[in-house]
Amino acid sequence: MRICQVIGRLTLNIQDPSYKGGRWLLANPLDAGQMNDACHKPQKLTSQSTFVTYDGLGAGEGDIVGVVEGAEATAPFDFPIPIDAITVAIFDTLSYQPPATNT
Amino acid sequence: MINALVVGHAVSSHCHPSLKGRKMLLCQPLGASGEANGAPIVAIDIFGAGLHSKVFVSTDGLGARHLVHDDKSPIRNFIQGIID
Repeated sequence: MRICQVIGRLTLNIQDPSYKGGRWLLANPLDAGQMNDACHKPQKLTSQSTFVTYDGLGAGEGDIVGVVEGAEATAPFDFPIPIDAITVAIFDTLSYQPPATNT
Repeated sequence: MINALVVGHAVSSHCHPSLKGRKMLLCQPLGASGEANGAPIVAIDIFGAGLHSKVFVSTDGLGARHLVHDDKSPIRNFIQGIID
């Protein structure tokens, strides 16, 4: 599960029928150094590539979400759906405490 | 399996039902010679791994679904073992 900040939403015009009623978010993965104050202050974009994720939770812009990628993203659905990323958690707090020397 | 170091934890009140009540730890994947490799990922913990303990994290969704007894659960990373 990767930790990303939601930076936008996406509306599909022509889409796969199984996407009906789906919500899509633009997620930019966070770097380690941003995690401690990510849930309190808006973060600047990171160099990691932004991707589109299916939204199962109703996350909005500025939320810090946990995104699962891969075939597991289709697990919550009863019907076959071609997605490879889904939001599974909206984080309230993140506590990042690396060891003093990076052993 | 990812060789990782526990570097923190995450709290989420709004998440997938199969994650409710689960401990979520921030795990920093380690490269071959122990250096940090990419951004930290969140993994479910059932063994009570402490901060800065070395663990290996599984990326197998099937195992995760058996772990949480919910075959609709999209979890993928869970801590499989703590390295002494």
